Order: sequence, then C-alpha cells, then structure tokens
Amino acid sequence: MIPLVGVINVKHWPRSRSFRLWIPLFLLWLLLLPFAILLLPVFFVVCLICQVNPFQAIATLWSILAGLRDTHIEIDNRDALVLIRIL
Amino acid sequence: MNEHRRQILEMLSQGKITADEAERLIAALDKSAAPPSSAAGPATNATRFKYLRVLVDSDSGRNPHQGPVKVNIRVPMQLLRAGVRLAGLIPPQARDHVNTALRQQGIPFDINQIKPDNLQDLLDHLNDLTIDVDANNKGGYGDEKVKVRVFCE
Repeated sequence: MIPLVGVINVKHWPRSRSFRLWIPLFLLWLLLLPFAILLLPVFFVVCLICQVNPFQAIATLWSILAGLRDTHIEIDNRDALVLIRIL
Repeated sequence: MNEHRRQILEMLSQGKITADEAERLIAALDKSAAPPSSAAGPATNATRFKYLRVLVDSDSGRNPHQGPVKVNIRVPMQLLRAGVRLAGLIPPQARDHVNTALRQQGIPFDINQIKPDNLQDLLDHLNDLTIDVDANNKGGYGDEKVKVRVFCE
C-alpha cells in the first residue's frame, strides 16, 4: 500500500520551539492521478522507444512508492532536530 | 507411511514397546525428518528483517561551530527490493553506454550479466550484514569521533 501521510517535525534549539507538519499524501496522490492518466500515453510511447516493458515499469514505480512507507529519517545536531516520517 | 514408522507400530502391536514409548519414537522420527532451520536460509531472514538501519553519531570535539550530530535512518527493505527491480528497466542502449564507461575506467564489468535474481540474492544476504565504523580524527579542535552503524532489523 502506498504511503498516506508524511510527517515533518522540526525542533529548533531550545527544543520548546518546534513545528510539526502532517502532509496528507493521499490528497497528493488524488491530485496527481489526473495528470498521471493524461501522461500515461506519453509514458507508454517513451517506454516503447526505450525498449522497456511499460507494465513492468509501472509495477516497479508502484512498488517503489509502496516501499517508501515506514521510512524514518532523523537528523539531530546542536541547533535543530529534523524528523521525517512516511506513514 | 515410511519403514521406521511401520516398524514402531509393529513393535507396539507385538507388545515389545508401550504406547508411550511408541509415541516418543514417532515424535523423534518426525523431528529428525523435519528440515533443518538453516535450510530455509535467506528467505527466512528476508521475512525476518524489515528495515535497513543507518546510525551515525558524530562528535566534533571542542569545535564551537559544530556540535554533535546524530543521524538515524530507517529504510524499509521493501524499498530496496523495489529499487533492485529498477535494474531490469535499464534500456539496452543505456547498458552499452554504462559498459563502455566502465571499461574506460578500467573496470571490465558487463552489467548485462546482472540479473534481477542476483540482486535479489544480494539483498537477501544483506540481512546478515553489520558494518561498524569507529573513527577518531585529530583536528584543530581536538578529537573528532564518528561512529557509523549499518545493520538490518
């Protein structure tokens, strides 16, 4: 299943100053869906020119998107803590 | 029914062994017939580990411009597997270009020989990988210590 929510959390020093941003990725996918459908013929043509199986390409891109789920990146230094999570 | 099991049942019917003994013998037979856990190999590991973790812990000594930095990254193994599948999408023309560039760099390597199955095997064995780097650099601000850990969990 593709990720539905992204969370960006930034805490500046002192740690009381912080903001948390929830990005509803499912809305982003819904917004991108019409563009994806419009670009699908172009994508197929490019795949045929490059001699790549378009269905395999779509499946791979989908699995990459789905694989992003549960990604966790946390960087903490003296000035700030940045946390990115994809749920 | 195999030969050993039949012998045990015959001994039971002849009264040479009790029902308890027969049960224990059959249990022992079943245990020895079960495949060893290591035979499951990488596939078992592949299902056991879900993430690749990268931990970096850096302490820049007494450097006033840079404090300690900690990086904690968790990459799902599923993403790595999907990335590996990208190798199958490299167009043949691009593969030729890559091979030529590799040869020019003195690396006689043919990427056409890399199959997605090979990369899949590589990922499966990545589960056993643990990298620990512990470095000390002496600089103008004293010792800079960096610890890097890469492992699967």
